[in-house]
Amino acid sequence: MSLWVDQYRPRSLDALSYHHGLSERLKALAASGDFPHMLFYGPSGAGKKTRISCTLKQLFGSGVEKLKIDQRVFLSPSKRKIEINIVQSNYHIEITPSEAGNYDRVVIQELLKEIAQTQQVDMGAKQRFKVVIINEADSLSRDAQAALRRTMEKYMSNMRIILCANSTSRLIAPIKSRCLLMRVAAPSEDEMLAVLQSVARRVGFDLPPEAGTKIVEDSNGNLRKALLVLEALKMQSPDLTGPLSIAKPDWEVYCHKVADLIVSEQSPARVMEVRTKFYELLSHCIPPTVILKTVAERVVDKVDESLKADIMHWAAFYEVRMRNGNKKIYHLEAWVVKVMSLYKQFFYNIDMSEFD
Amino acid sequence: MAPKSQAQTQPQVGKRKPTKSSSLHRTVRLDGERIPSSSAPSRMTRMDPLTAFSKSVTTVSTVNKINASQSQGQKFKGKGKAKIQEYESENSGEDGQAAGFLWVDKYEPMTEAQLAVHARKVEDVRRWFDEAFEGGPSGKLTKYRRILVLTGPSGTGKTATVRVLAKEMGFEIMEWKNTIGEAQNFFSQESNTSDYEGLFTKFEAFLARASTCHNIFASSSAQKSKNRRIILLEDLPNILHSKTQTQFHEALHALVSAQSANPVPVVIIISDSGLRGEATDERRAEAGGWGWGKDKTQIIDVRTVLPKDLLGGQFVTEISFNPIAPTLLRKALQAMLSIHFSRSSASAPSKEVLDTIVESANGDIRSAIMALQFACIIEFPGRGKKRLGEQRIVLEAVTRREQSLALFHLLGKVLYNKRMGDPPSASASAKDLQKERDIDAALKPSVKLPVHLHQHDRRASRVNVESLYADSPIDTSLFSLYIHQNYTQFCNEVEESEDLADWLSWIDASGGDMWYQANPHQFHLLTLGTLHSLPSPVPRRSQKYYKPEFFGFLQKEKDAWDSVCATRDWLIDDLLSRDGSGWRAGGWTKNDVVLEVGGVLKAQDAIQNSKYARPPPPVHKLFSQMTFTRTGNTVRASQLDERDDFQADQQLGLDRDLDMVSPSSIYKMAEEKGGWLESDDIDEF
Repeated sequence: MSLWVDQYRPRSLDALSYHHGLSERLKALAASGDFPHMLFYGPSGAGKKTRISCTLKQLFGSGVEKLKIDQRVFLSPSKRKIEINIVQSNYHIEITPSEAGNYDRVVIQELLKEIAQTQQVDMGAKQRFKVVIINEADSLSRDAQAALRRTMEKYMSNMRIILCANSTSRLIAPIKSRCLLMRVAAPSEDEMLAVLQSVARRVGFDLPPEAGTKIVEDSNGNLRKALLVLEALKMQSPDLTGPLSIAKPDWEVYCHKVADLIVSEQSPARVMEVRTKFYELLSHCIPPTVILKTVAERVVDKVDESLKADIMHWAAFYEVRMRNGNKKIYHLEAWVVKVMSLYKQFFYNIDMSEFD
Repeated sequence: MAPKSQAQTQPQVGKRKPTKSSSLHRTVRLDGERIPSSSAPSRMTRMDPLTAFSKSVTTVSTVNKINASQSQGQKFKGKGKAKIQEYESENSGEDGQAAGFLWVDKYEPMTEAQLAVHARKVEDVRRWFDEAFEGGPSGKLTKYRRILVLTGPSGTGKTATVRVLAKEMGFEIMEWKNTIGEAQNFFSQESNTSDYEGLFTKFEAFLARASTCHNIFASSSAQKSKNRRIILLEDLPNILHSKTQTQFHEALHALVSAQSANPVPVVIIISDSGLRGEATDERRAEAGGWGWGKDKTQIIDVRTVLPKDLLGGQFVTEISFNPIAPTLLRKALQAMLSIHFSRSSASAPSKEVLDTIVESANGDIRSAIMALQFACIIEFPGRGKKRLGEQRIVLEAVTRREQSLALFHLLGKVLYNKRMGDPPSASASAKDLQKERDIDAALKPSVKLPVHLHQHDRRASRVNVESLYADSPIDTSLFSLYIHQNYTQFCNEVEESEDLADWLSWIDASGGDMWYQANPHQFHLLTLGTLHSLPSPVPRRSQKYYKPEFFGFLQKEKDAWDSVCATRDWLIDDLLSRDGSGWRAGGWTKNDVVLEVGGVLKAQDAIQNSKYARPPPPVHKLFSQMTFTRTGNTVRASQLDERDDFQADQQLGLDRDLDMVSPSSIYKMAEEKGGWLESDDIDEF
């Protein structure tokens, strides 16, 4: 048995339960025979990948569902081996280049060249081209994006690229302009509730409306998260009645407590303590950007109105540095110290004004 | 003085046949081969594979041609043993040829008492040899004592210890030398250019023969030593070349796994070469771009020389030598001086000179002896105090080693942020006070800044950033980690930390992606930024330095990533096993798994009866479970000791890419697992 998210995922464009307009358009596009490069973007858990796979099925038929996983080894310029898992069918290939770390450019180039230079051999195939799906395209490095841009034009005859990203802001303009942009918005609360209920029905139980509403509220437009929470809750209390407490993931709780630490005391010793917590979070593989964002949002909730803008400004500032730098902890800590200092000075100033 | 100095190199023989014996020395040396001569008695044979085995006849004939007769050579060899007494022997009438001998060779220690190495280290090595030849107390350890690795900075007496023990315990040393004199042999024998062997082939042949065959040229003393031999590898093949490295590793494996009743132990001597401030970047540049992994293999250390399974295995023993303690060093130098000047009319160098040398040698006895010899040769002009001062300047220029600043002191200098006019610390001695005053006198007071910049006003710093940069034992990246780990203790207020943290962040982010865009001023920026941000004077509350926690957490992170991969594989496999539903198989990115699946996994663990065919891998807890505990201010990092060196941390790997497991960290783990005890052999039988 797999997770419900995977098990009850819609398999065709017709089975999608929301964004019907988008589905129609995709269907028409697949039928037109002239399929462009595409860029699906939208918040996580909105259904981008589901739509991509449905589109693929529309394009190639059920053959795309026969997947195999390959482990490929690439050689970096310095002769280091990079191992990457690649999911593919006869008609498409799916990669997450961010797993190659700094060497995403090598992976992208090698792989695309290889695919582009092999013709579709299956005479019965509906389309002459193969599709390459690139997950997390917004985490591609500049280098890799530049490499992609040339390839996209050169091998248009037998390859199409579908990019999947949370936001287009980190993609360079030449790539955006070569793609058909598809925005997949987060589902509305009603739509999410409907999906939850239909999944519950297919599993074979009734979802009490209160529980459903609560899950939807908690998951903040992320349908994948909602379904995972539903499954976890169902495991914990099979009848799903009574007061439900949706436990946040451990890392989120942890981040919030770190934020509390920052607000409650501002001293070098406290900086040290917060640092240890950050190390702990990082060593649990929580992406540093997520850490910064979660902690910052929580801190903003707790401070005075006039400080909020500054705190977010510095969060953004150090996030950029984090991307350029190597040691994430420096930047996380620099932000914390900045916030502490701002917060402290804010109170100091209040006291001063009272004396006046 | 110079003619006197060579007196001791040629004992009685030199007296009788001065010209010939000295010409023997010279010729043989040029030949790239050192037949047992001044530095070694007859039992020690240095083997050149070319001449020792395949072409030995040629060599002998060459020697014959040059030397008057072979018997003369033999005679000389026989006398070599008299070397110990040579110190006392009175010589005169020596020729000028031997003047080139360095004291390092001349006064090579002959007995354990003369070794400046700590007695316990010598004892360790001796015990190892004892076990290798006799099998230790149980008589069975021979099997495990196959490879001894001696590591340590240069000039710490690694080779000398082996040589001395060879003499005392009576075994023969067969040493590998990479021959460069090969071409010479080519031209002398035009006939066989076809059977050219690569250097490594020769090395393998050497290993094979040395471990199985006996030396037929062995003199009578070899019989006394009951055929005890060791193979000494100091001049290693070019293991920076990855293919040669692999071959070398294979050769070692073969050597260790060879079943032999009487195995020949191998001693490998590796001198640690430290890194300097900018070294990593340079290496990266050489490696071309991201230099991943390649910059690791550019260092010859125990991890590149030995394959990692051997390193942690039972056949390899590693003994690391520390820099020689100043007291031992001084004793050894003094002993040497008293011998040297016992017969000399010249006066021994003053105590100050000796002090300077001991101080600046940094535990390197070789450089200390060199400096001492130099100090005795040159004539210092002038008299009295002026002369002394000049002496000091010259000696400092000569003896100064590049890494003379311990990490501990480097941190202290920066983090204590001493500035001009700081009140002297309570414990400072009069000498320290004088020193501080001298420094202050040499400093220019800082310029007064305009009003709008008054917050940047600082008194002039006593820290000389340039000399720190030159002396830093670690590279900037590691230095910044140390600063980062320790700075909070030196700040009073969060504002000071703010500046410092910003500097760290900025320096880390400065420069571009590519190696050639790396910021070349990082060290200076870091040091100056730190000095500028710290309060002045820094509060004294008995701060302790800690080693960066960074590497520990990095290791944890790598383990956690492995568990993320395992969990994702579990998710995907579960899907693929069900036909036709492998729909979203590739859709789980690592981040999705980390951020969202945790809840389900936790619930799954809570209920015992699993609805899955295969339960999720238990390692998922590495990333999915976090409990928040207020640890307070307890620091878990280990403390940095004055005597600690940075090597261990260095080896943990300073990876630019945190997602990837560094090879050295695996070695590290392997190292920790493989702890073979002396008692292991009891289980074995």
